Amino acid sequence: MPNFNRVKLVYFTHLTEESFIGSSFCSFERVRGGLMESSREVVVVTSPLDSGISSFELGSGSEGLRLRSCTAHRHGLTCLGTHFLASSQIQNSNSGAIFYWSWNKPQPVIKSFPVEPIKPLASNADGTYIVGGGSSGTIYLWEVASGKMIRKWSAHFRAVTCLVFACDESLLISGAEDGMVMVWSLLKILDDAGSSVHREHSFSGHSLPITDIVCGFGGCNSTIVSSSEDYTCKVWSLLTGLLRTVKFPSVINSVQLDAGEYALYAGSRDGKIYVADLNSGHSSHSIYGADIVCALSDHSKAVTSLAFSMDGFSLVSGSEDGTVRVWDVVSSQCIRIFKHGKGPINNVLIVQLRTSLSDPSLARMSNSILGKNRFSLPSPLEKYLSKRDENPDGSINVGPVVALRSNPFHSLDGQSFNSLTVLLNQIKELQQQGSSATSQMELERLKSDLGRAMQMVQRWQDVYQDLYSFSTAELLSNVDMTGVE
Amino acid sequence: MADFEYLHNMYDIRLRPRLLRSLMADRVPDEKRPLSSPLELSNVVSCIKLHKLLSETYPVKVDKSNFNDWKSAVDSWIERLLSLASSEMPDKCWAGVCLLGLTIQECSLDRFVASYSNWFQRLLVHLKPASGSHFIKVTACASLLDLFTRLGGIPNVKKEGTSLAGKLIQPILQLLSEDCSETVCEGVVDLLCTLITFFPSSIHHHYDNVEAAIASKIISGTCSTSVSKKFARGLAFLPKARSDADSWFSMMQKIIISINSNLNQAFEGLEGATKGTEVTAILVPPGKDPPPPLGGQSVLALNETTKRFWQLLTPRVSVLMQCCSMMLTNAYPVQVTVPIRPLLALVGRVMSVDGALCQTLMPILLVSQQLFLCSELPLLQLCSLDLLTSIIKGVGSQLLPHAADVVRLLTECFRRCALPDLRIKLYSIAQTLLISMGIGMALYLASEVLTNAFVDLKFTNHNSVISSFELLNSKKQRAVGPPSNQCKRKRGSEPQPLSAVDAEAEDQNINSTIPVSVQISALKALEALLTVGGTLRSECWRAQVDLLLITTASNAFDGFITFGEANALIADEPASIRADFQLAAFEALLASLLSPCGHRPPYLSQGLALFREGKREGGTRLAEFCAHALLALEPLIHPRALPLSSVAATNMGRKLDETTFSSGQKPGMPFLDERAGPSSSKSDDFYDALCSSWLKNSEEPESKDMNQAEEPGVTGVFGQGAAENVSGNREKGFEPGVFDKEMEKDKREGEFRTGIFDKEMENVGDRREKVFGTCNFEQEMMESEAEKGEKVFETSVLDKDVMENVEDKTEEVFGGDALDGNVVSRTGEPFSSKGFMVALSDSEPEPLPDIVDSDPDTD
Repeated sequence: MPNFNRVKLVYFTHLTEESFIGSSFCSFERVRGGLMESSREVVVVTSPLDSGISSFELGSGSEGLRLRSCTAHRHGLTCLGTHFLASSQIQNSNSGAIFYWSWNKPQPVIKSFPVEPIKPLASNADGTYIVGGGSSGTIYLWEVASGKMIRKWSAHFRAVTCLVFACDESLLISGAEDGMVMVWSLLKILDDAGSSVHREHSFSGHSLPITDIVCGFGGCNSTIVSSSEDYTCKVWSLLTGLLRTVKFPSVINSVQLDAGEYALYAGSRDGKIYVADLNSGHSSHSIYGADIVCALSDHSKAVTSLAFSMDGFSLVSGSEDGTVRVWDVVSSQCIRIFKHGKGPINNVLIVQLRTSLSDPSLARMSNSILGKNRFSLPSPLEKYLSKRDENPDGSINVGPVVALRSNPFHSLDGQSFNSLTVLLNQIKELQQQGSSATSQMELERLKSDLGRAMQMVQRWQDVYQDLYSFSTAELLSNVDMTGVE
Repeated sequence: MADFEYLHNMYDIRLRPRLLRSLMADRVPDEKRPLSSPLELSNVVSCIKLHKLLSETYPVKVDKSNFNDWKSAVDSWIERLLSLASSEMPDKCWAGVCLLGLTIQECSLDRFVASYSNWFQRLLVHLKPASGSHFIKVTACASLLDLFTRLGGIPNVKKEGTSLAGKLIQPILQLLSEDCSETVCEGVVDLLCTLITFFPSSIHHHYDNVEAAIASKIISGTCSTSVSKKFARGLAFLPKARSDADSWFSMMQKIIISINSNLNQAFEGLEGATKGTEVTAILVPPGKDPPPPLGGQSVLALNETTKRFWQLLTPRVSVLMQCCSMMLTNAYPVQVTVPIRPLLALVGRVMSVDGALCQTLMPILLVSQQLFLCSELPLLQLCSLDLLTSIIKGVGSQLLPHAADVVRLLTECFRRCALPDLRIKLYSIAQTLLISMGIGMALYLASEVLTNAFVDLKFTNHNSVISSFELLNSKKQRAVGPPSNQCKRKRGSEPQPLSAVDAEAEDQNINSTIPVSVQISALKALEALLTVGGTLRSECWRAQVDLLLITTASNAFDGFITFGEANALIADEPASIRADFQLAAFEALLASLLSPCGHRPPYLSQGLALFREGKREGGTRLAEFCAHALLALEPLIHPRALPLSSVAATNMGRKLDETTFSSGQKPGMPFLDERAGPSSSKSDDFYDALCSSWLKNSEEPESKDMNQAEEPGVTGVFGQGAAENVSGNREKGFEPGVFDKEMEKDKREGEFRTGIFDKEMENVGDRREKVFGTCNFEQEMMESEAEKGEKVFETSVLDKDVMENVEDKTEEVFGGDALDGNVVSRTGEPFSSKGFMVALSDSEPEPLPDIVDSDPDTD
């Protein structure tokens, strides 16, 4: 009997899960429409074969300019700030290649060739640093603006496969072919005085290469999910280590968490996207296995990459079948398909843009960036570690190239009208009659009063004079008259 | 004339022209009537602003005559102002210029565009040096500033604006070069900044002249603090006139060199000989020519006596540092190279001097000079800490490679600085660093912030913590650099590990000396530390910090500020400071409760009690914050996994209370017949469906339902009760388990199995008692009562016999789960269904016994 009870409990969760999934698709559409107004999400897609980088607007589906000559590594695509896309290239030679594109130019604007093949790339939200993982297990950290290699350290025994910044960007998480997931504090790594580089955490547990890592929200209590070729995903806490292991029927290529971290979406090699329940404490069974709630299946080949939209329910998946599908995770329906090209897709990235892809202002923006040199083009990435004090060109490095910004609400820039405050101050000053300025004005006023008074006096005098002379004349004439009489 | 008609009401359209005319007739001076009192003018201004008398905007449907009436009224108003502005009498002229400035702000766009150049000419006359009163010059500057601010907002007059602005530069330069009064300077510099912001190209040709003019004002140091701040702003804005990276950098370079050369002279004999060159060596690489001095050769040539130099040192250096700060924190149109290393070196240089003579050198300084320097040093250090804050703000994420240097600098400063003002700044820098750089920074700064905050908050009961931290720190310092030649080290910054006794003794000594403002900033730094990194590597200090914060907060609420026995009332502090201290203590307490720590926050119940009490202090910031804190703590007590959709949104109303209990889970869904579908989960239909499904279904689902039905009242009060009595319940074996699951969001597999129920099983022997125990756990959450058993029945809503049956079910469900190692979801699902059942069991108690009877497991 207890067993039966347990089954019932399981059933309970399932129903909850599914019933909400089925119900309110319409209301979401409305919400989504509202969100689209404020920010435009652009899906950026790459392929390991040279069919370039294509970009689609998630809301309208319109396609942007296709960028050429890109054969990206898996995880080798990142957005540098809002202006550039960076991608590590598959090369035949022994050296690596990282190219930058701007949004409006089909050809790469900057090409750099690091010493060894770089596979995964990551950059911080400002786009000021770029991190690359080498095939030897070394991780390189460059400053984007100057191209200076700030630090390199040997992190793994085998090739690094994925790099992710944790949510506050002070920690870097790396996964490698040796099955290890490591957490690094950038601050410690960049500290010159700290002689040896050491990691904050190393999570071992996967027996085969790591395929993807995703880091959840929550600062030092964040959850990290790693997927591996050993058919499992492991959920780690930054604080306490392994939380649980989820087994899947196939190799998982890509993982994503939804915004509330209730569900784990795992894109698998068999073309399905499995949805695992992270939040219920008890195991839920489906035909796919423990903890797996359901699966989204439409892709004909392996799912390679997943990305979540800001709206919280659009999941974007890229597959080796050459399509990008947008799923509504509430209804489990595929709601849109983008076609990239013939080749398989290996990276899907969602980028927030202020302007529309089709909007000419995007081109203008990039033009003004590149043309008028308002934002200097980043330099190619350095091959070797240089001295801290030196720039790549050998000059002394005084400091980073920074785009100074200020909060419009706190800055002095926001000039406001001034005359009223001045007026009120002056009125106060006049009331008190203390300052030299007011007394000066008072003096002026008195002077002019005096002048006017003097004029009056003069005029009165004149009048008096006239009257006097008139009266005297009159009197005298009267006297004369009487005298005559 | 219309003036003889009455208005309809205060919104009548004819009000405004009529009011304007009456103002002109009665209050505004004219040729004949003098200005009776300046206060009249302020009444006029407020009336115009209140009624928008000059705006000339009508609702659409208004007949033309009214519009013309208003238009002619405004026309005559402006005519009057212009005649006043050209009046001989200074007071009338002043009134005219003032009101013209107001008109520039308030008039309609069309009118402004049509007549701004005319107004400009009228105002420009008053800037000519020949004209007398400073008063009018200031007003004219302000009015012109408004004119250009408004002009800058209109896109299609840029060209005209630039040419007008160009005409203004010469008079401005002349005014600056004259020995004019401070207020005029202030106005002129403000005007200049506006021109740079809106019409940068007008300054282009006069760039060097403007720089020289402002620099000479700063270097000569004749102005008061507020005015020289304006000058600093002018200088900081100036590179925007050219808007290229080079002018920004060269301005920065010049300023740093200028500061440095001033310091060279001042610090001679107080520091190592090479300190001065350290800064410039990075800034001006060997072999390259240094940039021309700030403001050109003429400014440098100013010859000054030694005495004058000392007098001017602090104002001059502080203004230049302010200028650096403003350059760093204000937006600039292009990317620039920020000379972060020279800047940090400069800050480090000022902070490292403490007035002690350098032993390696023969004293060059006079005793009086040392005295003077010692008196001025804190000000210089405050300025350089401000500069450090600006560096952190301005450089943002790109501070990363230098962050370790900044931390070392900060550590060193914490060790040296004993003055309250300096410590406040240091704490606030630590706070900024923590917030902006995240966890990585917390790992670095934790020990520093803690050591100092413990000392400043007089955490005397726990010297062990302090000394262990200080031990840690002193080790660090040895590694960081050789101890320098300090003569005056104060207690607060004593780096040596203290024995417990010493520390206590010393703490007694300074109990009354640490100002509340320092404690406030220490609390803020602690709060930032807990917010960012309260979890990672915090095992060794977390418990102490939690204790410190709860104690501080409760003391602060009672009006005490110290820890332990030596309580001192803060009543003698100003009220605002007291309020700030309370608020800071509560904010830090909230952070301590919210920051995850792997177990239940130890002082949750005390904290909640404090917040609840604080909330009653209506109308204060404290009450506002307490309300916020209670809201923030609620999900800690009711952790929830919300469904993505809000189905409830479509059928609000009756469903509302159910969702409240259900922790956001879709209420009732598990009980629904599958046929019913989500749409039937509404009001009455819903209950019917539920009831029928209940009656129809076989025993197992019911048994579960019953289990949930038996705790109707319990769930409702659960949250509050549990919160209140959390600490009381701590001893009980099952409690931590429950709360672990309830509160932590992490998903530890193993922990699920060490659940409540297992432990409950161990504690309770026979089966019947198990039953009571199981339902009691809820009960206890609510009431925090140690007694078990009958209590349940007394408080239960259901009949006793029903209850008994029910509880067998309960036991079975829960017990079975527990034995099985299976665990109830942490997401509050069990509660959700219980909560839902409240309504059900109240309304329809009858079916229950039947169903229960049909259960085979009843015996």
